[in-house]
Amino acid sequence: MASAPPILQLKDVKKSFGSLNAVDGVTLDIVEGELFTIVGPSGSGKTTLIRMLVGMDKPTSGDILLRGKRINDVPANQRPTCMVFQSLALFPHMTVGENVEYSAKCKGIPKKQRKEIGTRYLKLAHMPQSYYDKPVKKCSGGERQRVALARALAFEPEILFFDEPLSAIDYRLRKTLEKELKDIQRETGKTFVYITHSLEEAMVMSDRIGVMRDGKLAQIGSPSTIYTKPQDRFVTEFMGEVNTIPVSLADDGRLVSAELSASFTPPDALPGGFTSGVLIVRPEDMSFVNSANSANGAPENQVEGELFNEYLLGSRIQYQVRSAEMTFLIEELRADAVTRALGDKVTLTWRASDSMVFAE
Amino acid sequence: MGNLSPLARRLLSSYIGVILVIMYVPIVTVGLASISKSRFFIFPIRKTSTKWYEQTWSSLQIQDSFITSLSVAACVALISVILAFFGALAYARYDWRGRSLFQQILLIPIFFPQAVLGLALQLWFNSLGINMSWEATVFAQMVWIVPIVTLIIAIQAFGYDAAVEEAAFDLGASRWMIFRTITLPLLGPGVFAGFLFAILLSWGNFPLAYFTSGADVTTPEWLYGKMIGGYTPMVPAVGLITVLLGGIILAVGLKINGMLQREQ
Repeated sequence: MASAPPILQLKDVKKSFGSLNAVDGVTLDIVEGELFTIVGPSGSGKTTLIRMLVGMDKPTSGDILLRGKRINDVPANQRPTCMVFQSLALFPHMTVGENVEYSAKCKGIPKKQRKEIGTRYLKLAHMPQSYYDKPVKKCSGGERQRVALARALAFEPEILFFDEPLSAIDYRLRKTLEKELKDIQRETGKTFVYITHSLEEAMVMSDRIGVMRDGKLAQIGSPSTIYTKPQDRFVTEFMGEVNTIPVSLADDGRLVSAELSASFTPPDALPGGFTSGVLIVRPEDMSFVNSANSANGAPENQVEGELFNEYLLGSRIQYQVRSAEMTFLIEELRADAVTRALGDKVTLTWRASDSMVFAE
Repeated sequence: MGNLSPLARRLLSSYIGVILVIMYVPIVTVGLASISKSRFFIFPIRKTSTKWYEQTWSSLQIQDSFITSLSVAACVALISVILAFFGALAYARYDWRGRSLFQQILLIPIFFPQAVLGLALQLWFNSLGINMSWEATVFAQMVWIVPIVTLIIAIQAFGYDAAVEEAAFDLGASRWMIFRTITLPLLGPGVFAGFLFAILLSWGNFPLAYFTSGADVTTPEWLYGKMIGGYTPMVPAVGLITVLLGGIILAVGLKINGMLQREQ
């Protein structure tokens, strides 16, 4: 995939509103045929960015190139790209079919062919033909999603953009549609650029993810790279719940936590010139000390605490452990869990190689 | 009313009944006065007659006043709707410098007492050298009616997702195509309601016409003129016809509006 030429290039793209830099220098190549997700918290500038990519807004500076051609000033209706809006923006006074045919109508395609196009793309979006003449006002949430997708696909865009279209629907349907969307992307081979605040959504669907913060891309990489090798504390915490321990480097090379009055073995690679910062361990990388993992002597990292609460997460169980003024989260597979009582004294441990350290 | 006791329900019904009677008896009285045979209204009516209606029908003065009033109403409604349509988009749909000032200024004519507004416009037309005529009345009434119609259409414009226009644009539609296929159909019911309001407000308007119509006489002006000198039961006859015509316009309009809404 890396050898394919980029279909869309962003070169130091900036957008400011007054003194606010909503998008603050984004450089990015999007490869033809990939599903690229831009993920970030609200206010990170991702919607502003996508509006520039589809042509609703113009960048303050920087360049946007589509297949090598600068398209900064090309308005949305003259770009071969299309977007599925957050609100879907279906035309409420039209039927399902009229919505899907709209772009063909704009191109001046005759009625009979328009219907063929509409039918083809409705089918691609898993909508039965019987919905063709149904008013969109009478469609359910999931049906509307499919109509919006079919309408955008029927435009036959070179790149299809999505501005968090799934954010407003219930969990189960969202999970189904996420997978369907990825399947449709594979089926059509189109380039999809997806925006979301949900990292979970990004993980499920993406070939590559760009994590956005304060108008900048903090990290770009495959979902597994982002997960296993997050670049900084922001990306790590954005990926999900983590345990964060403020530490400083002691002379003996160990990491000392003043709050826990304990010291820990650092992972192999410490950031250059590290003196103090945070030690981060994911809940699933933590475990309770028991006879199995202490068989060869006491584990290298230990925190003693009290079991405060437990949460059942389907196939896993998450525990909250309190130690000094800190709380820790530990996850175990339900199958591996032993019965514990709330209030029990427990000892936590983790492998140094599973921990991450960031300077602060 | 589901959880009211039978007594309370009966009291409430009679209360509503009394209010309705008090409100509508005057109109019934007008109707009665118009069929009284004698020239002046004395209750109870001794003899009834349709002669005042016959005279009304054949009166050229009254025919003229109807034609004048209808012409004014038609012009006011047409021009108001066009101005108000774009005004409403500016009011509700687009963000532009000066929008909030526009929103405030727009309402000012509504707060003026109409007699004051009429006088002001008369003085203004005079100093501009514009002749007082029914055409001047069209302008005068528009000063008051355009803001109202703008608000009516703006309500509709607030009610729809602005992203639909962007979506159409993104799908390759030109500005004109967006206007024709998206904006206009979505604002249609509001535009029609505004049109209806404009006709009815103009049809019944007296003060603005009084100050600005010069030698032309609208129906409300004719009524006023006959009230202060030369009363005959033609006055209530014309009054009743005016009300009925207004009612018919409203009923037909609501019917059409209902059809427009259902189509969406």
